Amino acid sequence: MAVRHDRKVSILDVMGPVMVGPSSSHTAGTARLGRVAREILDEDPTEVHFFLHPPLAATYRGHGSDFALVGGAIGLNVDDPRIPEAIRIAEQMDVTIEFGEEDLGEVHPNTVRILVKGPTREVEITGSSIGGGVIEVFKINGFQTRFKGDSPTLLLFYRDRPGMISEVTQIIADEAINIASLYCSRKQRGKDAFMQIDVDSPLSEEALRRICSTPDVDDARYLDRIP
Amino acid sequence: MIESFKQLEEIAANRDLADVFLETDEQEHAVPAEQIVEALRKRRAVMRDCVERGKSSGESMGRLVGHEAELLNKAFQEGRTFLDPLTVKAELYALAVMGENSRMGVIVAAPTAGAGGVVPGMLLALEEERHIEPERTVRALVVAGGIGSIIALSANISGAAGGCQNEVGVASSMGAGGVAYMMGGSTRQCIHAAALALKNTLGLVCDPVGGLVEVPCVKRNALFAVHGLTAAQLALAGVESVIPMDEIVEAMVRIGRSLPRGLRETAEGGLATTDTGTAIAKRLKEEANRRRAEKAAERERAAQERKEHAHDHS
Repeated sequence: MAVRHDRKVSILDVMGPVMVGPSSSHTAGTARLGRVAREILDEDPTEVHFFLHPPLAATYRGHGSDFALVGGAIGLNVDDPRIPEAIRIAEQMDVTIEFGEEDLGEVHPNTVRILVKGPTREVEITGSSIGGGVIEVFKINGFQTRFKGDSPTLLLFYRDRPGMISEVTQIIADEAINIASLYCSRKQRGKDAFMQIDVDSPLSEEALRRICSTPDVDDARYLDRIP
Repeated sequence: MIESFKQLEEIAANRDLADVFLETDEQEHAVPAEQIVEALRKRRAVMRDCVERGKSSGESMGRLVGHEAELLNKAFQEGRTFLDPLTVKAELYALAVMGENSRMGVIVAAPTAGAGGVVPGMLLALEEERHIEPERTVRALVVAGGIGSIIALSANISGAAGGCQNEVGVASSMGAGGVAYMMGGSTRQCIHAAALALKNTLGLVCDPVGGLVEVPCVKRNALFAVHGLTAAQLALAGVESVIPMDEIVEAMVRIGRSLPRGLRETAEGGLATTDTGTAIAKRLKEEANRRRAEKAAERERAAQERKEHAHDHS
C-alpha cells in the first residue's frame, strides 16, 4: 500500500494556487519555500543563498525557479507578476544572491536548503516542493520539523526544560484555540530546543506576548498561512 | 476526512458530490464552505482571463512553443476544423492556458502548472458549448479539486515524483469527474469517469525537452483534455472501470516509483534525449551561459562604477 500523507491536501491546494508559470513545483513551490525563509527572518534580507539538491539543480533554470526562490525570499507572492523580475529587484535592493548545488540526502527531488541573512539575524531552512505548489519544510535552523505553511504557526526557540510544552500550550488553551499539530526537537538535553505549533485560528497579540515572556524562551516567530 | 474513493462513494451515494466535498474540506481545514466557493469563483475567472489572453500568440521562455492556440483558433474561426466545437474548444482553451504558462503568465495550477490546461480546457469549453451556468462550473471545480485531494493522500502530485501520469493524468481524471458532474452524472459515474481517465494515462512519463514545461507539455494538455471528455462520456453512458479508482491510484504510485529517474522530470531520458531534444537542450544551455556571462560582466561594470564613484567622494 502506498504511503499515506498525515494531513489532507485541501481542495484549494489542489485547484490552485493562482500563480506565475511555468511550473507549480519549480516556480510556485520554490517561491513559497523562499517566502517561508523570509517570513521566519522577519526583516528584509541582505543575503540569500540557495543550495539545490542535484535533480533540482539540473532543472531549475528552465522553470524560472531562480526568479521564484529569490522572489519568495524578498517577500513576493506566488501570483505576483513581478516574479520574472525578482532577481533584478533583489539586486536593486542590494541583496547578495548565491546559487549552489548540494546533495541533501534521501529527500524529494525538488529540495533546497535556504540560508537568508538580514541586518540582525539569519535563518536556515531545508524543504521540498512536493507538487502543485505544496511544500514541506523539514528543517528550521537545524531543528527537525514538519512545516507546510498551510495554517497559522508558532515557532519557538527555547532552552530545553521540563514543563515548557505544558506552559506554552496552556496559554494557547486559555485563548480557546485548537492546536492542529505540534512538533518538538532539541539538539541536546537541557540545551537548544525548538517547538512548532500549528493552530486552527490566529493567536492574539496578548497570547504571543505571554508566550515570549515565558522563562527560557529565546525567540518566537508567529507566521500566518504562507500564501 | 474522506480517505478513499470507496468511502466517498458510500458517503455521497445519494448526495450532491460538491456539497460532500465542501463539507469535509470545511471540517478538515477550518475554511468555511462559502470561502472555498468564493475562491474558486475567482479561480474560474483567472482561468477564463487566461484563455482569452492565451488565444493570441507569444513565444515561450525557451522559444519552443507559443503559436499553437493562435493557429487552432484561426482554423476554427475560418471553419477549417473538422471536429465538433466542444472538442476543438477543449483543445484550444488548454493550449491557450499552457501558452500563457510558458510565458510566465498568471495561471491556476490545476493540479499543477504543467498540467494546468486540462481542467479549464474541458470545463470552460463544456460550459460555453452546453450553455451551463458559470456557478455550476465553479461547483465542478470543487468536485475536480476534491477528487485530486483524495488522490493526493497517497500520491505526490508532481512529474518528479511519478512522471506525467501524476500531473496530466491526474488533471484529466479530476476534469473527467468534473465534467460528469456538470452533465448531471451520479457520484458513482463521476468516480468512474475519473477512474477511466486516470487508468488510461498510467505509465505516462515526464521527459520535457531541455527541462522546460514546453515540449511535450503544451500540446499534451490539449490532447488529454479531449481524453478526459471521452472518459466522462463513457462513464455517463454507464461504462465502468473494472479496476476500482483506489486501486488505480495505488497502481499509479507503484508505477511512478518504478520509473527510472531519467523519466521523472530530469530531462535525462525519453523525448528529452532524442537527437532533436538533445540539440535543443544544447542550444538552451549555450544561451543561458551567454546570458549569465553578460550579466556577470554587467555586475562587474556596476561594481567598478560604484568604486570609482566612492573614490571621487573620498
